[in-house]
Amino acid sequence: MTGRYGRYALLRAAQAVIVILLAYVLTFLVISVLPGDPITNTLRDPQNGLSEDEIQQIVAHYGLDKQAIIQLFLSLGRFVTGDLGFSLQSNLPVAQLLGDSLPSTLALAGTALLLAVVFAVVIAYGAQYLPGRVAPGLLRSVPSLFLSVPNFVIGLVLIELFAFRLHAFTIIDPDSAVATFFAALTLAIPVSAPLAEILIANLDHESRQEYVLVARSRGLTKTRLFARHLVKPSMLPAVAMVALIVGELLGGAVITETIFGRDGIGTLVQKAVTSQDVPVLQAVVSLAAVVFVVVNLAADLVSPLLDPRLQPDRAAARTEPGVVVPA
Amino acid sequence: MTANLALLRPTGIPRAVRRAATGVPPTVLLAALVLVGVLLWSVAPGVFTSFDPVTGNTAEKLLAPSAAHWFGTDYLGRDLFARVVYGTASSVTSALVAVLIGLVLGSAIGLASGFLRGWVDTVLGRVVDVLLAIPGFLLAVVIVSSLGFQTINAAIATGVSAIAVFARLMRAETLRARGSVFVEASYLQGGNRLHALLRHVLPNAYRSVVALAVLQFGTSILVIASLAFLGYGDPPPASDWGLLVASGKAYATAPWLVYAPALVIVATVLSVNRISNWMRKAK
Repeated sequence: MTGRYGRYALLRAAQAVIVILLAYVLTFLVISVLPGDPITNTLRDPQNGLSEDEIQQIVAHYGLDKQAIIQLFLSLGRFVTGDLGFSLQSNLPVAQLLGDSLPSTLALAGTALLLAVVFAVVIAYGAQYLPGRVAPGLLRSVPSLFLSVPNFVIGLVLIELFAFRLHAFTIIDPDSAVATFFAALTLAIPVSAPLAEILIANLDHESRQEYVLVARSRGLTKTRLFARHLVKPSMLPAVAMVALIVGELLGGAVITETIFGRDGIGTLVQKAVTSQDVPVLQAVVSLAAVVFVVVNLAADLVSPLLDPRLQPDRAAARTEPGVVVPA
Repeated sequence: MTANLALLRPTGIPRAVRRAATGVPPTVLLAALVLVGVLLWSVAPGVFTSFDPVTGNTAEKLLAPSAAHWFGTDYLGRDLFARVVYGTASSVTSALVAVLIGLVLGSAIGLASGFLRGWVDTVLGRVVDVLLAIPGFLLAVVIVSSLGFQTINAAIATGVSAIAVFARLMRAETLRARGSVFVEASYLQGGNRLHALLRHVLPNAYRSVVALAVLQFGTSILVIASLAFLGYGDPPPASDWGLLVASGKAYATAPWLVYAPALVIVATVLSVNRISNWMRKAK
């Protein structure tokens, strides 16, 4: 297995690097080729008070007087060597801005991911194993409801209820543990929905399998059957889903952090958009792509180890593994 | 002939309607009703409210919801219900534009990948990978900031960030149809590739792609509302739903300014999702 697996791992890693570089190129194209020239607009904005000499210096440093394609390669070269440039607004190195905002966003996104997984598991297993018809039926419609409420509405309602009415936290101190919890809750609710849906679909699929019938006829109780036979297969596809969700968390952070007044990556994006701070935008999008690609690479590399059916030397011989992905 | 028979039996048409409606769960009918209402709001907002969405009576500012003002009034005394109704057109049509962009471009990419295979598939596959690697909302934010803050640009941005999802589904469906026995049979009978594409592959992929399009319509409403909430859509006095929530949140004493438009968004998207789920299960 090792030879095949090693080759598979190398191939996937190479693909990941290519995707990251292409994501950088795409962002560059979106920002600089589309109509409007944010860099020059910002530089010439009288509010920034840059002298003509300084402007020339910046233009020369970034090669802005050169053709777009040359600029792209210069920019890509700087990115590969880890130089993210300077913010047009604060003149601070972008790497420093990212470093300052990252801890807050990591705390938010980490808590949110944990909450989302807990919600999804409770909803999915509740829908499968609660007695009666009403409660499971209601639980099954929860993901759809979670998907229908905009992130910002959840945030505003939570603030109104828990900060203004019940005084559980104050929005003046957004980094306190309680405020972080509620911000994470805002982010977790929409994100937990697809995870719950895929868990429900997989549990449904697994409980229809014949081995379940066999196990039941051998006299296994419902709970033991669940614990011994159903948890693991239903979790496997969810691992891949968690990897996909990480990207959503970063996107949702823009709204959540703005509402809760947190100084994280999302707020950085929001400020960068308002002030057309191109280097910051470029860096954040690249960072998001790197995070997404690395997490998914990890999931792809781990899942063959967890599920023998997905091993590269066997995957080709077998048909699709027992995984249900809702369209 | 059948039309004549239907004319002879006056009960025929209602029975047909009844037959179509039976088997449809009541929640789906309710959802359809909500969507028809929303569509009517966007087509003819003037029919549903006699108030003007832009000019208000400042003597009547920040009134709570009442029989006269269903959703209350805002800080300029404008009727909030009128603002919601008049904001529907831009909130809903921009979501339609977004879905259309994602559907057309995404399906074209997916169809080309799945049908032509080879290097086309490899190249387009990487393009889709890249689009998937950038979080959708972040991509939409960057695109709209590059195009300029307008609702139509927000719609374009939302559409572009949905391309990858459509491309992936269309590629999978195309591959499925392409490998099927009936496509093979069509080749054996002398059919060419274009014929197989139009006659067999597209009609088979159509159902799941339409279900996804409906689902994406709901998602697009949310994304566009979020962009408007951040101020990346048309500026006031436009009254996109997301913008209404954003401007309402400044008035803590008038919570209806947030809840009323928020409720309209939730009801609309919930209805869209319900119908999409039903379509997916019905096939």
